[in-house]
Amino acid sequence: MLHQALHLLPTLAAAPPAHADSGAAATPGGQLLMLVPALCVLAALFSALSGPLKIRSKIPGYFSVACLAGAFVAVLLTYLGHESGVKIAHGFEWITFKWGDGPGQALTGNFAFYVDSLTLLWMLFVTGLGALIALYSVEYMADDVGLGYARYFFAFNIFVLSMSCLVMADNLLLLFLGWEGVGLCSYLLIGYFYKKPVAVAAAKKAFIVNRIGDLGLVLGLLATFVAFGTLGYDPLFAMIRAGVDAKGAPIADSWVTDVIPLLLMAGAFGKSAQVFFYVWLPDAMEGPTPVSALIHAATMVTAGVFLIARMYPLYAADDDHMALSLVAWCGAITALWSATIGMSIFDIKRVMGYSTISQLGYMFAGLGLLAPTGAAFHTLTHAFFKATLFLAVGAVMHGFGGQLDLRRLSGVARMRGFGIVGLAMLVGSLNLSGVPGTAGFFSKDMILAQGFSTPASMIEAPQAIAWVLLLTAGLTAYYTFRAFFRVFTGPVEYLPGDDEHLLEHGRHPKGTTLAEWHKQHGHGHGHDHAHTELTGVAARRAHGRKDFDPTTEEFDPHPPGWAINASLVICALLAIAAAALYFVKTPHAEEGGWVGGMIERSSAAFHSPHEFNLLGITSHSAMYLVSALVGLTGIAVAAFLHAPKGWQGLFLGSRDTAATSRADALTPRLGRVARWARAKWYVDELYDWFLVKPLRGIAYVSSWIDKLLVDGLVDAAGALPARVGRVLRPSQSGVLHGYAAGMAGGVALVLLLVLIVLN
Amino acid sequence: MIDRIEFLWPEIALFVTTCVVMVLGLSRRIESRRMTALVTGLGLIIAGVLAARTTPIPGPRSGQVLLPELIPYAKVLIASVGSLLLLLQAGTVDRAEEAAIAAGQRPYDPLRTNRAEYYAFFLFSLTGLMLCASADDLIWLFLALELTSLPTYIMVAMSTGRARSREAGVKYFFLGALGAAVFLYGFALIYGGTGSTNLNAIHAHLAAHGLNLTALAGFILAFLGLCFKIAAVPMHFYAADVYQGAAPQVSAFLAFVPKAAGFISILLLTATIGWSYAADAQGPLYTPITQSAYDALEGAVSMGLPEPIRVFLWVIAALTMTVGNVLAILQKSVKRILAYSSIAHSGYMLVAVLAGPNNGTFSQSGLAAVLFYLLVYGVGNLGAFAVLACLEGRPDADGEPAEIEDVDDIRGLWKTRPLLAWVMTLSCLGLMGLPPLLGFFGKLPLFTSGLAAGEIVLVVILGLNSAVAAYYYLRLIKASLIDPPSDADLPATPTPFATRTLAGVLSAAGVVVLAFVGGGLMDRSERAARYTSMMAVAPPPPPRKTPYVPGDDTPFPLPIPIGAR
Amino acid sequence: MHPGPLAASDLASYLPVGLILLMAVGFAAANIFLSRIIGPSRPGGVVKGQTYESGMNPVGTARKRFNVRFYLIAMVFLVFDVEIVFLYPWAATFPNLSPGTDEGLVWLGRIFFFLFTTVVAYLYGFRKGVFKFD
Repeated sequence: MLHQALHLLPTLAAAPPAHADSGAAATPGGQLLMLVPALCVLAALFSALSGPLKIRSKIPGYFSVACLAGAFVAVLLTYLGHESGVKIAHGFEWITFKWGDGPGQALTGNFAFYVDSLTLLWMLFVTGLGALIALYSVEYMADDVGLGYARYFFAFNIFVLSMSCLVMADNLLLLFLGWEGVGLCSYLLIGYFYKKPVAVAAAKKAFIVNRIGDLGLVLGLLATFVAFGTLGYDPLFAMIRAGVDAKGAPIADSWVTDVIPLLLMAGAFGKSAQVFFYVWLPDAMEGPTPVSALIHAATMVTAGVFLIARMYPLYAADDDHMALSLVAWCGAITALWSATIGMSIFDIKRVMGYSTISQLGYMFAGLGLLAPTGAAFHTLTHAFFKATLFLAVGAVMHGFGGQLDLRRLSGVARMRGFGIVGLAMLVGSLNLSGVPGTAGFFSKDMILAQGFSTPASMIEAPQAIAWVLLLTAGLTAYYTFRAFFRVFTGPVEYLPGDDEHLLEHGRHPKGTTLAEWHKQHGHGHGHDHAHTELTGVAARRAHGRKDFDPTTEEFDPHPPGWAINASLVICALLAIAAAALYFVKTPHAEEGGWVGGMIERSSAAFHSPHEFNLLGITSHSAMYLVSALVGLTGIAVAAFLHAPKGWQGLFLGSRDTAATSRADALTPRLGRVARWARAKWYVDELYDWFLVKPLRGIAYVSSWIDKLLVDGLVDAAGALPARVGRVLRPSQSGVLHGYAAGMAGGVALVLLLVLIVLN
Repeated sequence: MIDRIEFLWPEIALFVTTCVVMVLGLSRRIESRRMTALVTGLGLIIAGVLAARTTPIPGPRSGQVLLPELIPYAKVLIASVGSLLLLLQAGTVDRAEEAAIAAGQRPYDPLRTNRAEYYAFFLFSLTGLMLCASADDLIWLFLALELTSLPTYIMVAMSTGRARSREAGVKYFFLGALGAAVFLYGFALIYGGTGSTNLNAIHAHLAAHGLNLTALAGFILAFLGLCFKIAAVPMHFYAADVYQGAAPQVSAFLAFVPKAAGFISILLLTATIGWSYAADAQGPLYTPITQSAYDALEGAVSMGLPEPIRVFLWVIAALTMTVGNVLAILQKSVKRILAYSSIAHSGYMLVAVLAGPNNGTFSQSGLAAVLFYLLVYGVGNLGAFAVLACLEGRPDADGEPAEIEDVDDIRGLWKTRPLLAWVMTLSCLGLMGLPPLLGFFGKLPLFTSGLAAGEIVLVVILGLNSAVAAYYYLRLIKASLIDPPSDADLPATPTPFATRTLAGVLSAAGVVVLAFVGGGLMDRSERAARYTSMMAVAPPPPPRKTPYVPGDDTPFPLPIPIGAR
Repeated sequence: MHPGPLAASDLASYLPVGLILLMAVGFAAANIFLSRIIGPSRPGGVVKGQTYESGMNPVGTARKRFNVRFYLIAMVFLVFDVEIVFLYPWAATFPNLSPGTDEGLVWLGRIFFFLFTTVVAYLYGFRKGVFKFD
């Protein structure tokens, strides 16, 4: 049938691929990876069907875990069998438009996978973390078993499917399919609690902001096709390696290496929440926490990093590295910018969100500073430790009725059943802060060190970028441990959140939602008010009681079960173990350990210059010392300002209730700066004033034009058939002789017309 | 003549089944009576298998030679859609009577039951339809058409116990008689104009001598009469009243069987005229032009039906689809909507008739498009009517359940009867021609064949009409799939006949499945539409612009009167 | 011999038919009109205005309901009637068929098929209870 249909549309005539993937080292293989999309589809279908089939259990969740684990095994086996070079696993011919026989006259997008070490590196953590977080979700989403569960796991599996397509694609078209697919799933999952207006607004915001970035990506794809006549990586890289475009003209100083990288960069920045585009990611924290962990921390947001890493040959082919400079600078500024916001806000999940933006900034800076290995390594370590952090935060949220305010929680790690959560949080925080010996330390160090050694002739002011990043490292350590000390250490106190799920299940006692509490006490919702009041309530509820027994209180915290704990432990262990990768000796690369070997064997390989320029020691050794010092300083400041008294606060802190810390006294002195930072530098408001409001005004005007003019015309056209029908209706009177007269008259009329007029 | 028997086995099988059914349906024992429908189905299946095994033999032995491959395709199509229709007919007649007999209120009285007659008429009509496809002669064609139609008049009248059905039956009968008179008159004039009733001979004569005025008048009248069968303007008036008056399962029958008969006849007649006339031919005759002569003119003229017939069909097609669609918009009754949409679909198919075979490929051949669209329309329409047939209202005083008819009655079907809601949705989407479904693959060739024949304006009208049609189809979909159930206490309850639901589900599944696996069907219809004109071998036409000289007739080359062997 | 094809201008050969039609219509119209004009008109009297029924006084209304069996028997009669009508020409033609060919067999088969349909009609009528006279 399809074949026939294609016949009907001459322009769609099936044609053999114009560019037989020739040259280069690509060989067929890696067919095992086809299992990955297949398993995801299977799990998605099963999840989707479990809704109508009225399956009211966790079966779809476990099934998804099994399928994703299977996908991971498939990737792992492929990795173990992979030596070097590129393999192309061909699935089927997906899109072929052909309008001629010459080069650049056919647009082919095959469903085929480009299997090299970069692909495998990404796929390992995408499927691995996917399976782990699916396991976590099995328990986390347990309250929604039924239709919500089906919806959640359907979108989850489709996400992994799209992400696999994005990462494994052998051409930019399939990458784009996956790119849009992950965007859609992100939208669906952010808006998972669709009854919450905030969640819906956040989902829309994420989708719309991403669309703007995607415009750049689409234009980039078109420009690539115009320049190279193909979207397949293999022929593309062959041409780039040769330094020519489809017509044979050199590309190093042409528009090709300036415009295309910039356009692709716009797409990457949208997806990876960098400058201008980052505003959607903090709001995306409205989604369920496992989603934040998987999509908005570990995998999807690294798609932009992946895109640039994948297209690194094109970026590196530019003679003045203009696009890379821009990438580096944008990354560094984003890193610093969002770190300042992370320092000042109180919602721990959003702190993690801003931290993700900040760390993504590091990755982009790494790419821009000609350290793709560092960027990839940081992506990998970040995936693990940020997932750990999110999962731990999620466990807290799950246990305390959705409470996320760090002023309303204290001493969680000491509570019954929350030990593992606290430990996992500590592991994640140490990594994020870059404490020596952790994976995060080594990966961050690679980027920083490269920043100090990249010559200024290749990138604009690399040292300045490195300094910005170094400063950011200190701030990162501060806000990470600020959250840790406030929430997990200190006296056991808490005020539960107003999670609807708990209310529905009757586990939430009457009169303890914050909203009601505030109503009773005649105060608004504002943070500033709540802050002072909280001192009171916290004191009222648990002040000074180390033997605080939650069960006798009104609210019963809900400690995580085995699935959450298991995935937390695995994630934390992986985050720790990732450090070992740095020391794996590989024949393929001098530095960067295992990841270095992977990147060196892939298309993203770049031999960065090692220019020594710091106090006579190698930049790496210097950076070990400096960044360790910076990180520890940040932690010390956090401890001083936020930690409780005694060993828990490294003997630096002074806090003795949930909400009193030295920072509270310090903040007012900072005045406007603190207030502005807490208000996220009013970026959302700025966008609202300068983009959303004007656009809305234009939309309002054009909607009136549409209503009056266009709709008027359409309505008129639409009313015409009905009007004609009303005229014709009397002919259908139901009277027999009327019909007969109509028929006979019609016959006579037609006959007369044909015989007389037409003759 | 005896040779023709081997192409008539499907019809003979149906006829024998009819005889059996007529007697079996009057048995005293309920078990035997129940077998009636089963035997009917068996007969249809046998006829279908026999038709599928028919291999057309080129030459006059197999009847008309212009569309030599038409017979197996048309008959298999008739048998399969007929089987689906049969599933829908369960419980149409004798429901109250059988219930009374089972309850012991009355003894069995053959005079009071209609089962035997109903299934016999059902089969008679299908036999007539198959005979239409086998026709090679105008008289045969006329008899076959009447055999198709006559039983339907009575089926309409007896389909429900209501006066409305009787009224519809009577209306249908009288207007049908008028229509038959018109095309019979047309056949007579064709005979007068060409000297034969044999389709091959008529074609040979037209190929050699062109179309004269008498024959032209005959063809116009014949087409007008056949417009009654396909419910096209100006013979469309009856459709809405009759479809509304009949039970929905009979309406489904009416929407397919007479329409298929009409279109097969129209194809046969237009095939005798042929599509190779120069558009700018002058003089009193419409002279056929061979391909070589056409090529010699280097495309200065376009080829097609003779200009008057082309314009006639053009206007009829445009009017039919427009009138059907604009009237459908205003209706509240689902049956009337479907009736008017059936008129509109006839208009769509006439576009393809007008387009002609072109180069004979599926995308260009209008004949293939018509033949394929008959299947598409038959399946989609059946599903929509099946939904109505599956529902009924509360019984009135006589125990006759009220009919579900209004759009409001099917509101909120997704809640009460989700399966039927989906059947309605898929059928309507199919009829609308939405891309992934069968309707799209049916409608696309209508467009492409029209474009290939250069009928741009008509294709634009077809497109506009398809857009208008989307309105009322979406209305049906909205009512059944989106609207909340009407607050009245469940107006629609399911009928106890599972096979009706089965028919609906099968046709809805067909709308989806055939779209993906129906490539073979497209090939079949392309083959069935193979057109072998004698015009290619006809003697070159008289020089153009030479006035015709009366009395210059050469003796008629191929006189094959009936029974002259 | 079949008639030759008629060309466009030969529509004139239908002229006799038209003339006959015209004469028929004209004759009927003329009769009505002439009797109106020529005939005396003397209305009056009950008997004169009565329906003519073979000289007898009309009894009851004309819209009398007949027993349905009346129609049934008429239809069954029709079956045999038609059968006879077809059988006569067949029987008359049968001896003139070319001998030595299987044409005779074919014609015999055809008439048997026709008779078979008659039998089915009869059988149907029988089972329908048409022949029950109680």
